[in-house]
Amino acid sequence: MATPGIIEIIDVKKQYTVDGENLQVLGGLNLSIQPGEFLSVVGVSGCGKSTLLRLLIGLDADYEGEIRVGGALVRGTSLERGIVFQDHRLFPWLTVRENVGLGLTNSSWSDAEKQKAVQEHIELVGLAGFEGAYPHQLSGGMAQRAAIARGLVNRPSILLLDEPFGALDALTRSNLQQELQRIWQTEKISMVLVTHDVDEAVILGDRVVVLHARPGRIERVVEIDVPHPRDRDNPQLKRLADEVREAIVGPHN
Amino acid sequence: MKWLRGLVLPVLLLATWELLTRYHLVNVRLLVEPGRVVATFLRELRDGELLSQIGASLARDLGGATLGSAAGILVGTAMGTSRFYDRLLGSSFHAAKQVAIFAWIPLMSVWLGTGEPAKVVFIALSAFYPVVLNTFEGIRSVGSQYVEVARVFRFTRLQVFRRVILPGAAPSILAGIQVALVYSWLATIGAEYLLAAGPGIGNLMIDGRESFQMDKVLVGVVLVGAVGASISALASAIGAWQLRWRVTSA
Amino acid sequence: MTQAQLVNGLEEAAPSSVVAAGRRNLSGALHGLRRQALGAYLPLLALGLWALAADRHWAPPQILPAPRLVAQTLGELISSGELLQHVGISLARVAGGFLLGGALGLVLGTAMGLSRRVEQYVHPLFHALNQVPVLGWLPLAMMVFGIGESLKVVIIAQASLVPIAINVFEGIRRVPRQYVEVARVFEFSRAQYLRKVVFPATVPSLFVGLRYGLTLAWLSLVTVELLASSEGLGFLIVWGRQLFQLDLVLAAIVSIGVVGLLLDQGLAWLEARLLHWRPKASWGGAKAGAQ
Repeated sequence: MATPGIIEIIDVKKQYTVDGENLQVLGGLNLSIQPGEFLSVVGVSGCGKSTLLRLLIGLDADYEGEIRVGGALVRGTSLERGIVFQDHRLFPWLTVRENVGLGLTNSSWSDAEKQKAVQEHIELVGLAGFEGAYPHQLSGGMAQRAAIARGLVNRPSILLLDEPFGALDALTRSNLQQELQRIWQTEKISMVLVTHDVDEAVILGDRVVVLHARPGRIERVVEIDVPHPRDRDNPQLKRLADEVREAIVGPHN
Repeated sequence: MKWLRGLVLPVLLLATWELLTRYHLVNVRLLVEPGRVVATFLRELRDGELLSQIGASLARDLGGATLGSAAGILVGTAMGTSRFYDRLLGSSFHAAKQVAIFAWIPLMSVWLGTGEPAKVVFIALSAFYPVVLNTFEGIRSVGSQYVEVARVFRFTRLQVFRRVILPGAAPSILAGIQVALVYSWLATIGAEYLLAAGPGIGNLMIDGRESFQMDKVLVGVVLVGAVGASISALASAIGAWQLRWRVTSA
Repeated sequence: MTQAQLVNGLEEAAPSSVVAAGRRNLSGALHGLRRQALGAYLPLLALGLWALAADRHWAPPQILPAPRLVAQTLGELISSGELLQHVGISLARVAGGFLLGGALGLVLGTAMGLSRRVEQYVHPLFHALNQVPVLGWLPLAMMVFGIGESLKVVIIAQASLVPIAINVFEGIRRVPRQYVEVARVFEFSRAQYLRKVVFPATVPSLFVGLRYGLTLAWLSLVTVELLASSEGLGFLIVWGRQLFQLDLVLAAIVSIGVVGLLLDQGLAWLEARLLHWRPKASWGGAKAGAQ
């Protein structure tokens, strides 16, 4: 297991050209993410939060500025950084077990070690018993759990989550938020969560970064100084959530 | 019990057929009694080489179909994974599709003769087209979202191809092979009919027509339909079993 | 699975490689042109190789006529009016057979679609008969109808009938439930329901059937003409073959391809005009069924 390094985002800018016009998606972002921290990123649509994740995971290398993890520049994808997408992206032709094991395809572990890790992670996300199921047989919530297991199985130092619960119903969503909190406390790795759900951001994050749109810039960072495990009904959380909401709606937007 | 209704028409048809021929209401040379057709079928089965003829047709069919499908998967993969090959070959394919496949036979009979090789090549050609198109389409349609997952997990290009693209394209490829099997069966009968004589169901039908034995011809017709339907059904079943990870749409 | 299902399958998998240059700027347009040009390389290369082979006599001229000769023959056929004659005959047969088969298919498909009873009585036999391909019925048909015009019309009619019947049938069955419910809420009479909901909703499927029917009709025509005709494009192929004049054969093949393409495009144009309300061209409706 790698020790999580500090993630540094240094003056990152990105623009798209659409129909001959330049769209500044990210306009100079500066951010540091501490090892083991849970960072939530919120903002209106189009503020570039998903783009930021794609740059962090290394799927997109077209930007200005620097992104460093543990001092090293990010170039392309790496097994040190895992991701959970909003559409679970489990391979339909593989079972849950095989899907979770995907992350270990290129690892140097022995088969026995791989099997153990896969089983552990399936149990970690609460899918014990469903190892042999195919994705189409799973509910949305279960599929996302499997995706989370897959993202964690090779013990990355950072897990990125791009609106992972956006496509689920409210009940499943709040369930999985609790689960994610528990998983994070167990695994103790850095997590960066992008979401449009302010309550979700506040209940999970140590800090909440509010981005404003066009160009994407940090509007505000709200510290959530409440001990884990957190209770949804905590009045302090509610106050902080309001603060975040004000920042989103705030003067610049 | 509703399914019995489906039997009404066929039974009526058979009965009319029997009546017309029994009472010589039709030219009996043309419309043979159903009984005789069955008798001919049984007789051919017993003395004749019916089974070996069916076997010969099937062998030709499977040989050509395998050849054509293998070539099709290769070319389809080339076109699907490389923009270059796609643009090079694509429009030519689309144009050639307009010409009825049987129109190529006279040409082929000059270039390849009329023996077994010509027949097999013709059958392979008929299987080639659907497999190429379906393979191409299948590979293209594998969502980039899965490829991105593979990238996150640092898959090599070969791994991406083997573990993401191929399984993702499999349903399309299998569908293409099913289509190819039907086309190749039709091509088999056509080749037997149009090229040199040789064992096979086509031969049976030619025989029957030339000696004005309608019963033989009918046996041939029924066999063509029955064997073709069986091949389709078998291919369907195998395909469904292979793709059991799919959500079945009713 | 039957032949029209196959044609359907092929259509659905048609390569989208002929890319339209959608970009507005010049470099985009040039780029698109260059990409399309790539598609011409293969035919041009093949043409060049062919001309070379014919020139160098790599094969006797009866087997490999020079492209020049084929073009010349094609020109002669056109100028002497012979080509037009054969094309006309072929087209007339297709027209006759397609109209007959189309009408019957429409009636059959509608009957099966609107009445479950009719479907129960007719569909099983229909489906079973569909398993036999064109070439299977040909010897039978030849014995019954001889080798005259009626043979061609019957075969073409049968080939066209099936995809049309199946598509109309399934089109009626697949009228989206939402529209049916709207009709019920507004208490449409049966006639109104049919006129205002079912038929308009079935038209796209009908067109799918018509296109496959026409493709199959053209295919079947050529096949029949190959075997049992003394006129028409299919016959030209056989005749050229018998005279060992492959230039004639090739000229005929080219003509077949061109006419087939024109027929299909014509119908596509008609479909686009009539169905402009459709959000996007889709292969809606059924697999094109038998044959």
